Amino acid sequence: MLKLGMALLSFVMLIGLWAAPATPAEEQPRRGGILQVALAGDPPSLDMHQEQTFMVAIPLGPVYNNLIMFDPHNYPQIVGDLAKSWTVSDDYLTYTFTLHDGVKFHDGSELTSADVKASWDRIVSPPEGVISPRRTNYQMIKSIEAPDRHTVVFRLHYPSPSFLSSVAHPANFIFAKKYLDQDPQYYKAHTVGTGPFKLKNYVRGSLIELERNPDYWKEGLPYLDGIKYFIIKDTSARAKAIRSGRVDVEFRGLPPTEAEAIVKQLGDKVTVAYPKAISNWGVAINVDKKPFDDERVRKALSLAIDRYDMAKTLGPLTSLETVGGLMHPDSQWALSSEELQQLPGFSKDHAVNLREAKRLMADAGYPNGFKTVLTNRNVKLPYIDLGVYLISAWKKIGVEAEHKLEESATWSQTRVSRDFELLVDPYGSATVGDPDEMLDKFTSNGQENWGRFKEPMADALYERQSREMNEQQRIQLVKEQQKVILGKMWWIPGLWWTRVEVRSARMRNYEPQPSHWMNRRLEDVWLAEK
Amino acid sequence: MANVMHEGQIAVTTRQLKDVPLGKGWASTYAWPAIRRFIVTKPLGTIGGVIILLMALTALFADTLAPYDPYEINQSLQFAPPSLQHWLGTDEFGRDMLTRLIYGARIALFIGLTAAFVGSTIGAILGVVSAYLGGKVDLIMQRIMDVLLAFPLLILALAIVSVLGRSIPNVVLAIAIPIIPRTTRIVRSSALSIKENMFVEAARAVGGQHLRVMGRHILPNVMAPYLIMLTAQFGNAILVEASLSFLGLGTAEPTPSWGLMLSGSAASYAEKAPWVAIFPGLAITLAVFGFNLFGDSLRDALDPKLRHRT
Amino acid sequence: MWQYIVKRILLMIPTLIGAALVVFLLMQVVPGDVALLILGSDQGGDVNIAELERLRAKLGLDRPIYEQFLSWLWGIVRFDFGTSLWSGAPVTEELWIRLPLTVEIAIFATLISTLIAIPLGTLAAIRQDTWIDYIVRVVSIGGLGIPAFWTGILVILFLVIYFEWSPPLVFVPLWEDPWENFKQLVWPIVTVGYRNAAVSTRMMRSTVLEVMREDYVRTAWAKGLQERAVVAKHTLKNAMLPVVTIIGAEFAFLMGGLVVTETVFTLNGLGSFVVDAILHRDLPVIQTLILLTAFVIVFVNLVVDLLYAWLDPRISYR
Repeated sequence: MLKLGMALLSFVMLIGLWAAPATPAEEQPRRGGILQVALAGDPPSLDMHQEQTFMVAIPLGPVYNNLIMFDPHNYPQIVGDLAKSWTVSDDYLTYTFTLHDGVKFHDGSELTSADVKASWDRIVSPPEGVISPRRTNYQMIKSIEAPDRHTVVFRLHYPSPSFLSSVAHPANFIFAKKYLDQDPQYYKAHTVGTGPFKLKNYVRGSLIELERNPDYWKEGLPYLDGIKYFIIKDTSARAKAIRSGRVDVEFRGLPPTEAEAIVKQLGDKVTVAYPKAISNWGVAINVDKKPFDDERVRKALSLAIDRYDMAKTLGPLTSLETVGGLMHPDSQWALSSEELQQLPGFSKDHAVNLREAKRLMADAGYPNGFKTVLTNRNVKLPYIDLGVYLISAWKKIGVEAEHKLEESATWSQTRVSRDFELLVDPYGSATVGDPDEMLDKFTSNGQENWGRFKEPMADALYERQSREMNEQQRIQLVKEQQKVILGKMWWIPGLWWTRVEVRSARMRNYEPQPSHWMNRRLEDVWLAEK
Repeated sequence: MANVMHEGQIAVTTRQLKDVPLGKGWASTYAWPAIRRFIVTKPLGTIGGVIILLMALTALFADTLAPYDPYEINQSLQFAPPSLQHWLGTDEFGRDMLTRLIYGARIALFIGLTAAFVGSTIGAILGVVSAYLGGKVDLIMQRIMDVLLAFPLLILALAIVSVLGRSIPNVVLAIAIPIIPRTTRIVRSSALSIKENMFVEAARAVGGQHLRVMGRHILPNVMAPYLIMLTAQFGNAILVEASLSFLGLGTAEPTPSWGLMLSGSAASYAEKAPWVAIFPGLAITLAVFGFNLFGDSLRDALDPKLRHRT
Repeated sequence: MWQYIVKRILLMIPTLIGAALVVFLLMQVVPGDVALLILGSDQGGDVNIAELERLRAKLGLDRPIYEQFLSWLWGIVRFDFGTSLWSGAPVTEELWIRLPLTVEIAIFATLISTLIAIPLGTLAAIRQDTWIDYIVRVVSIGGLGIPAFWTGILVILFLVIYFEWSPPLVFVPLWEDPWENFKQLVWPIVTVGYRNAAVSTRMMRSTVLEVMREDYVRTAWAKGLQERAVVAKHTLKNAMLPVVTIIGAEFAFLMGGLVVTETVFTLNGLGSFVVDAILHRDLPVIQTLILLTAFVIVFVNLVVDLLYAWLDPRISYR
């Protein structure tokens, strides 16, 4: 009996082993290969501290390290890069970072805290002749000290929940103090960093070539031999480059129709990613121009837009596909669907909205509408398409908006000089969409408050949330601010934009993050065999 | 003395032309018979003329001819292929292509004709005045024209739109301005050769007013090169407008302009919905073709030297 | 004769300075400047006013206008064309990178168009108002009317769908790899060349017609010589006139065509560079390019006129 039992047991076990699915062997990273990237244009210079465009962030990401960074594999966690670890004082006013040992610059010299301090001093209080466009993000920083070779201390004016995510911003490369002292503009035309790749060659208008840094301080990395960024200005041409297999990836984002065409042609040789929405597209209102000082008119303009139809129409064309409030729809700061539908223009019953809009217009004294001008940037996707839709929506309540298209240079000027009535106004975040960064725009003195509306309640809420270390409470304050602004329609939301990133299926260990600025170091990305 | 001028697509040679003063009976004695003769001897030109006429009628009666509203957005109809309801399909916003092409004729003709007319006329007037007054005025005028001519037409137009901004009146201006020096050059040389004609001297000797002399004697005789230039520039102006819109510096969305319909994303949408890229291009080609056929034959007819030898 | 040449060359200078002035003033009037563009990030966003002013000062944009213009002119005289406000590289370097591509397209396109235009145009002229003439005229006028960017779009569409073509990633100059170079540039050259052929054919036809009408030609005809001999012997030298004229007059036309074609085919040449520079308000680049273009056009006109005077002694000039 026992023998039979044992035999049966063995038999069952054998069958079990045979039938059990084999665990797939973990794919081993392959060393070698050159990643080919399509890039939309030339970097204006090589100095990320002084520039504002992804055309610098993308090709130069691999050449440097930051103090801390967003985890490329675990968004939105923040992990150390050059910093091994850090501690925070109880009053949240002092942050102490401990640096890794044995980090070398591309020229062989060792990185010390002096380099970190020099780079950060430059970002927070730039010297004569150096521009620091993101300076206002670092207002909370009082001072930076380097007490010993591997320690950096940041002292703050006030407790700031946004401090770490600001410091982790991808643009905060650590440069070498030696060269900054030599020439404050050194990094405009030179690259000496600690990163996994070195600049090999740069042909303007054509190609940026990076090669592996054999002495990279992280053992075994990078896997790639090099990275080539081909400068291709035309969006359609970039898409075609991927289609024909000439490049592996486009790091900014492609229009949905192009992505479709690529997938149709290449099938599973490509992977298409739709990371979360990153930027919000709406309309800024110059509240000093009649009739926009009248809240009823502003509400009417919002009510006239059927956002859900707009998302269905514009989505496939432009990737403007998500209806949301002033903060990222997928984040903890977003207004819930119910809260949103309370606001003018967000309820799903468009017929009711339209009637309400017409009533408000009549109340305000414009039963037959009025003429106005929608100033927009001369870029087809998604600026112009959004403008076209809005104009047709406003026609329904009698508002005849002339579509005034300005080139980038002119449009930038117009925003600053307030020479507009209505203005298509996008904003977003290169990182996680922290409220400090996003909502400064919706305060009375906000630099990006192009319409210059004044809403003291929002100002107070903003002040409070920027010092509120308790996240739950902070969320409440942030939501309040959104409701205040949208309740009075100081700014008309349109839709949120989602990036569509297409890459070769050969790229491994890489996930696109919401912003096209993020995860560009590529130190642990590898290319599989064809 | 033969004075040969060269300009872009046409070469005009002028000799001493007969004095054809304006006066009563000009229409019946010269105009109608001339038109009849034209139709008979220049079949190609007549075809061109017919195309132009059809285009003009389409533009004028766009409101009655067009089946839909060119601006109406229709989510459910995005990229609809040609069908019975929409003969030429719809575009990315679900707007009917045929309707937009019909209204596009209006824009093309308006911009093209206005720009060509304004540019050529101003150019002609400047050319006549410059030739007539001669001396320092002529010299300065010539230099200014030379400077303007040093810019390729499209690039000058681009720069002007950058300055003025993207709107229909600005586009008209941007196209008209480069046309001025080109017309001035040709008309001026024509006017110069006439000026030395005896009868003009005679008229002046008798004490004729400047304007009168210019109007009665010089003007009619520069009509030929002026008209030739004018018709040549019509086609060109339409093409330049299309190019500007294509480059993103012409008419602005949602205006239905043929060049605009081909710009930017039309290339991306062309694979999905080829009708979006094909029909506007055909419209432009046909329009320019018509104007150029007509203009070409007109030149042949007006220039006595080029008439077929008998 | 020499007096004339010298006079013409001297006249070039005020023209060029005038052109430079026009461009300079134009760019001053244009709203927006390069500093705004450099600082205005991809999606609108942060434009710190204080930083803007500092950048402007850095780029020298806050100096008085005449000072900027004069310092630029002074630089030209010493062959220093300044630095690009957008990239910080010397303008000469930027131009040099893009020059070979544009020049190559220009030369080959002109070559193709001339090779097509001469025989076709002459044929149409000799057989004026016959069906040959009609066909040539219709085809050339038709070709003229087709917008270059439309053909470009259709050609690219065709190539992409049936040949999996994609725009070249890095330009390969002719001397490095002729075959690769040919593959990259054949379509833009054909697109530009074909349109110019249409223009040139019409010109050729009308100038040959004029030449044929000249008295001395008709006299030769009346003498009863073989038609071919008349054309060959008496008109050949004068037929060079139209060719010279075509190439000269067409040059300015060619430049406009290059802008559009380079844009459609996404080529990194001078044509698309000009458009970029205008959009970026990169003043030194724009000024230099315009000056260069103006110089070439004026120079080519001069050469054409001189050749003309040499070829046809009956033409006098003031």
